[in-house]
Amino acid sequence: MDRKLQIPRVPQDGPPKAGPAVSLADIGVGLAILAAVAVIAFNVHSNMLAAGIRPGFAFLTQQAGFDLSETLIPYGANDSYLRAILAGLANTVVVAAASLVIASLAGLLLGLLSVSASPAARFFALAYVELFRNLPKILVLLIIFVTAVNGLPAIRQALVLGPFTISNRAIYLPWLSQDPRNTLWLLASLFLVCALIWLWARHATRRQALTGRRMAVLPVALALCVAVPTVLAIALSAPLGLSWPALAGFSVEGGAALSIQFCTVAVALGLYHGAQIAEVLRGGIEAVPKGQIEAAAALGLKGGQTNRLVIMPQVLRTVVPPLNNQFANLLKNTSISIAVGYSDLMSVAGTAINQTFRPLETMLITMSIYLLLCLVLTGVLNHWSAGTRAREGRGER
Amino acid sequence: MLRSYLAAALACAASLAITSHAQAGPVFDDVVSGGKLVCLVSPSAPGFSVPDSAGIFQGFNADFCRMAAAAILGDASKADIRGIGFSDSLKSLVSRQAHMASRSVTETGTRSADPGLAFVATTFYDGQGFMVPKALGVKSAAELKGATICAEDGSTTLLNIADWFAAQGLSYKVENIADKTARLQAFFAGKCDAYASDMTALAADRRLAKNPDDYELLPEIISAEPLTLVTQPDETLEKAVRWAFQVMLNADELGINSTNVDATIADLDKQPKAVQRLFAKDGAAADMAAKMKLPADWAYQVIKQVGSYGEVFDRHLGPATPFKLTREGSQNASTSNGGLMYAYPIR
Repeated sequence: MDRKLQIPRVPQDGPPKAGPAVSLADIGVGLAILAAVAVIAFNVHSNMLAAGIRPGFAFLTQQAGFDLSETLIPYGANDSYLRAILAGLANTVVVAAASLVIASLAGLLLGLLSVSASPAARFFALAYVELFRNLPKILVLLIIFVTAVNGLPAIRQALVLGPFTISNRAIYLPWLSQDPRNTLWLLASLFLVCALIWLWARHATRRQALTGRRMAVLPVALALCVAVPTVLAIALSAPLGLSWPALAGFSVEGGAALSIQFCTVAVALGLYHGAQIAEVLRGGIEAVPKGQIEAAAALGLKGGQTNRLVIMPQVLRTVVPPLNNQFANLLKNTSISIAVGYSDLMSVAGTAINQTFRPLETMLITMSIYLLLCLVLTGVLNHWSAGTRAREGRGER
Repeated sequence: MLRSYLAAALACAASLAITSHAQAGPVFDDVVSGGKLVCLVSPSAPGFSVPDSAGIFQGFNADFCRMAAAAILGDASKADIRGIGFSDSLKSLVSRQAHMASRSVTETGTRSADPGLAFVATTFYDGQGFMVPKALGVKSAAELKGATICAEDGSTTLLNIADWFAAQGLSYKVENIADKTARLQAFFAGKCDAYASDMTALAADRRLAKNPDDYELLPEIISAEPLTLVTQPDETLEKAVRWAFQVMLNADELGINSTNVDATIADLDKQPKAVQRLFAKDGAAADMAAKMKLPADWAYQVIKQVGSYGEVFDRHLGPATPFKLTREGSQNASTSNGGLMYAYPIR
């Protein structure tokens, strides 16, 4: 008998007791899985020993000996494999974050277009979604990369557009001059502004729940964006000078560079997953009963308010599980970066395997890192969606 | 390794007890009893191993598979040549799925130390170099300070560049692109200043440019890439492959090839002593064959069915091919011509 169909007794004191947490069948299946994993592990281990390979992770401290096209943490050929893998991880996280933003924005825009009243907009959204979800993403990436490399000017004919210098190597822009105080200022400002805005928004929500009065959030957020960096700049006495990109020798020195491979990976994944996210959102929006919108209109809510207060909360509740799936896929799909020379985790791991002949250990590390990243990402999203459900009194927290 | 060797030794001992023929290596025996030699090549390396219209691999590397089959089985067509990627080919050898690999594997210390691999004979001395657009105005790699270099992701190329630029005290940037099309497009479109790879690969890749004459190879060779035949560790098999290759080098020195070998043998008495040692029924090569359990006429079969070293080189890579490589002046010339191809005495 399916436990889900049981009608709970009305409790006298406290919630109904859950059924037995684990059944005998659960234990049996669990043991079988464990046994299978143990057999595989033992088999692999003994085969490796038979082939004269001693499994171990000592190679991680050896010198890697290869350079990477770009890194966010300081890294050179003299650093260890461990540091190379960390540099690859940082690159993966950053390109995933950039793709995620592009994909979410594209998905939101196209999702809204696909349910809009205008037939032209609906057709555009449909065409976009069908195009991008029916092409292999590696092909999309290669087409964008080859087009960008051939279409953008070479470094010596770089296009200067105001503060930007655009070439087929990278897009260069002025950036804070190299100074540890500047880096500290940037990171501290970013963290403090985000934290303070979050605290204030939480406070405002609680006040509204208690008093029914809405408090200003946007003006406070804007004020924080200006005030916090200013105060910190004075407190840290950061020089805040700008470094401008300029052609020197074979390449451009100074400023900051967004490499073409970074941009193409972010755009390719953003467009590809944007199409998928748009479909998820369309499904979520169409699932909201029409009566809800009519009820909102009857209450006198304006269009924007109806979207924000009535439709979106219900959409978010239904789309978070499939969105989770999209975001996890996007994170893993950053591994196509290897094709166009963006040194992500997969690219570094591949080179490490070829040099050390330690495929099993390196793959274990790589898999664990991707698993951990995906679990953290989906964990955060689930936590957040549990929060949205709890506000409607449906979920558990 | 020890445990599996013990098992193999036990198995051999068991078979010896019954049949009691002289023990050759277990891998060698497997080739002879199976009647075919499984040999791994690169699935697509122009000039070195490319499948023809019938799906049979042709090329410089593929011919060394045929050499081994001709020497051991007396029939070059008994080489079972399979195309497989680089890392997989070494794994296949270690896990005993193939007898040998002829796929431009660079012999390095750590690879050679692997107990699952035996590096046997260097068939080609390659080295890493740079290709640049002529418009860059660079005549030597030493002028590449601060340049951006395109190279294959995951390859030894990346390590050689890092070592070389560090030794020269020059700064550089690398673009480690895995996809070959993306990499070449990036280079031809000027995203990279220079393209680094093995000289043979550069010669082949240059032809893919819209206008190959706009590009040139810089003279510096910054790494040693001895491309070497690899077998499963088995002393008998290693000896057979090593000396079959020496037969090809000796024939090259003596000016004997697949077209003139029959005429040479027809009047063997008038030939120099070295030629007689190679082909006579009571010559040194025949004596070796008895000791190594090879067909008595193995040297003849190698030359007749495959050819001398120079013949194989010219057939697939020489001036008459699109690669236009010349042995003279390169490390692949014979020692008498200033190269590294040294014919050991067969006597």
